[in-house]
Amino acid sequence: MPLLSARGVAMRYPNGTVALRGVDLDVPAGRVTALVGANGAGKSTLIRILSGAARPTGGSLEWLGQATAFRRPVDARRAGIATIHQHIPLVPTLSVAENILIDRGGIARTQAGDREAVAALLARLDARIDPDARVGDLGIGDRQAVAIAAALAVDAKLVIMDEPTASLAGHERAAVYRVIRQLADEGRAVLFISHFLDEIVRLSDWVAVLRDGGIVLDAETDALTEADIAGAMAGRQFVALARRERAGMGEPRLTVEGLATPALAEPVNLSVARGEIVGLAGLLGSGRSELLHAIFAADRHATGLVGVDGEPVGRSVEERIAAGIALVAEDRVGQGLVPAFDIRRNVALPVGGGWLVDDEAERAAAARAIETLAIKAQGPETAVAELSGGNAQKVTIARWLRPHTRVLLLDEPTAGIDIGARSEILRLIRGLADEGMAIVVASSDFAELLVLADRVLVLRDKRIIASRDAAGLDEDTLILLAGGSAPQGSAS
Amino acid sequence: MSDAIGWRRSFGLREAGVYYALALLMAVLALAAAANGLPPYFSTGNLTNIAYQASLVGIMGVAMTIVLITGAFDLSVASVAALAAAVLIGLSPVIGFPLALVAALATGAGIGLVNGAIVNLIGINAFIVTLGTLTAVRGLVMVLTDGRSLMVEDPTVLAQMLAFERTRVPAFWPLLLLGLAALAVGVGMMLRRRRQGRALRLGLMIGAAVMVIAALAAGPGFALPVTVAYLLVITAVAALVLSRTVVGRRFYATGGNAEAARLSGIDVTAYKIGAFVLSGLAAGFAGALFASRLGAMNPTALQGTELTVIAAAILGGTSLFGGAGSVVKTVVGALILFTLTNGFNILNLGASYQGLVEGTVVIVAAAIYTVGGRRGVAA
Ligand SMILES: Nc1ncnc2c1ncn2[C@@H]1O[C@H](COP(=O)(O)OP(=O)(O)OP(=O)(O)O)[C@@H](O)[C@H]1O
Ligand SMILES: [Mg+2]
Repeated sequence: MPLLSARGVAMRYPNGTVALRGVDLDVPAGRVTALVGANGAGKSTLIRILSGAARPTGGSLEWLGQATAFRRPVDARRAGIATIHQHIPLVPTLSVAENILIDRGGIARTQAGDREAVAALLARLDARIDPDARVGDLGIGDRQAVAIAAALAVDAKLVIMDEPTASLAGHERAAVYRVIRQLADEGRAVLFISHFLDEIVRLSDWVAVLRDGGIVLDAETDALTEADIAGAMAGRQFVALARRERAGMGEPRLTVEGLATPALAEPVNLSVARGEIVGLAGLLGSGRSELLHAIFAADRHATGLVGVDGEPVGRSVEERIAAGIALVAEDRVGQGLVPAFDIRRNVALPVGGGWLVDDEAERAAAARAIETLAIKAQGPETAVAELSGGNAQKVTIARWLRPHTRVLLLDEPTAGIDIGARSEILRLIRGLADEGMAIVVASSDFAELLVLADRVLVLRDKRIIASRDAAGLDEDTLILLAGGSAPQGSAS
Repeated sequence: MSDAIGWRRSFGLREAGVYYALALLMAVLALAAAANGLPPYFSTGNLTNIAYQASLVGIMGVAMTIVLITGAFDLSVASVAALAAAVLIGLSPVIGFPLALVAALATGAGIGLVNGAIVNLIGINAFIVTLGTLTAVRGLVMVLTDGRSLMVEDPTVLAQMLAFERTRVPAFWPLLLLGLAALAVGVGMMLRRRRQGRALRLGLMIGAAVMVIAALAAGPGFALPVTVAYLLVITAVAALVLSRTVVGRRFYATGGNAEAARLSGIDVTAYKIGAFVLSGLAAGFAGALFASRLGAMNPTALQGTELTVIAAAILGGTSLFGGAGSVVKTVVGALILFTLTNGFNILNLGASYQGLVEGTVVIVAAAIYTVGGRRGVAA
């Protein structure tokens, strides 16, 4: 008997979007079930329903063979379901330890043994996070680790994870894999969502593929290849992007001299040519994001010279943008989107242009973005709060696809984006470079970096420790450089 | 977006609830007045009177809405208005009314700047800072007036004040023409057969029809108190700036997600401080109008009005968390509050019940369209 089963679960959002049309899914104990599907296929919606965070508009759930309706998240939690949602809802003002133990019983705010418990959980995840740090001060990857630890803290029968590794790299990712396997071996059920097909094939026992709100493939993993899964997701064969040697870089476009900030261990000098794509490889906390934020002047303490096309640029975000620099930040909820705005107004957010709002032009730009990036939405007026995670991510990229942009800084641009769209976005980035843009892209997906970049800078402990030509570089070398040890758990 | 949803969104309780609440309240009062054999409720005199009474709160409410949109809060407006009133009355005999008016406005804007700078540059919570200025500025008024009422005796100044506050502006033609123009725009939009904005178009047409009917019903001699005209102009300008200009967009973005706005190149601090300056300026203007009303003020003038202003904004659906709000709806919220007070007066109900009923109606009105809105979403 499966632990949890969904029978004909359907979901129609109030705006008319049908996210799920009759889903049947069984999640048995002791098994790792992977839920995959393209952006907007309905995965997060299904998870929200299974965890009591949303109520289906049709169908039913069975928990241990009994029909149940989780009316609130606590109901699911009490039944034994721990969930890590895609947009990690942690309490930013509480400490890491308090977030992890957030629904522990008892009266005293801190109890004996708390510290040890938290330290043990974090160690299990290989996460080097100070239990007393304020969660609001952590980067997105660390927050992901805290959310996983919080789910492990309760003794759950079923652990659900919505893209737990989207912002993790190297050994942190491997640690999550290890934990997932452990949980299954202890006889618990794990249901996880991921866009990394290699991860799914290695890790899961069972794969369920969602497409447009329906299950199109529900089979044992051993019987499947990555291509089968990808095919089921997209309904067509899809072509992975291959590395391409790119000829003839132009003049230096972005020049960085003596860029220093307390967030980095040493000043950075960097030059990126017209048409060049520079990759930043590094683990969580290695300084990837810090470097990009410093170049963009989003880090107010950054000093040093930044120039575009030989012209020095002033030390404020406004001046950097005016000079044609653009940053797609990693934390799309915190730093990217204005949730109350629709797609159109989010895309039109960057400064520039006239004083009056030009509805028609904005609508056209948004429609173009929806088209170019294949954003799954009803139209330019769709609220971004109603988009799936991957589609919201595309909106943050779309904002900067304008002729004015000369230097594009991308921090994890493909986090949460499905494989089909991912290669589209990589192609798009390459196209932009071909048109002369200088591009710096940070990614924890090293394979992706190697496909895309001309040159890779490796960061470790907040400093650049190596600069390599991407041609001839392989993933293992990169992992060794970035983290010191190859990930064992990933069985590569 | 499918049309049905556009309709539901624009005319649902959440979006349009405050208009329904005002209409319902007026209908109830009109019936009650008729049942009690009182003079007709919907008379030009009575309605103009409500608008006149609501105008000061409305003016401050418009600026308060902008402050709330940026995610902040301003409790000091009533004290600032009182200070501006004291400045106007105190200085008018000395430097003349026009200069004194400028000084009053500058005082308001200056305190707004101080509020904004402390909140944003030092980083103290707006609630605490403006609670502080509320008390301190009121204290300053006490010091300046020596705790006594101030009064203007100079007849030229009094005349100028009356001209500033008491004149009536002919409103028949402006109202009629504006209404007709809006109708024409609506028809034009209809002819262009754009699918988008059908709901907006209907809203525009309804508004236009109301204006035309009001003008015709009031007759060609119709004139508005100039304070109401100030309110209308300020509201229209603010509404246009907020909805049609990039500056307005940035106020919303600043409150909606300050970090995203900053990374898009918006000078978030400037917008936040700017909102406080506007709020101080509006309070200064309201204070000047208040002082001119009687040519006199006492040091406790307008005490507690800041809560009415905030209540109007909240009734109008402005979010306390920033990023959302409409100045037009705030003004409608102010009208609801003053319609209630006015209802008590014309129905001659015991003043002792007034607070109780007013408070209840505010909560019920807010609840109806919040809950109603949520139902609509869950359906
Ligand atoms: N709150 C909401 N209101 C309206 N529509 C929504 C809402 N949340 C999601 N949707 C829509 O439902 C569909 C499924 O979204 P869901 O978030 O489940 O996708 P997903 O499979 O998790 O995608 P991703 O891989 O991008 O995270 C999408 O078309 C999305 O736009
Ligand atoms: Mg999702």
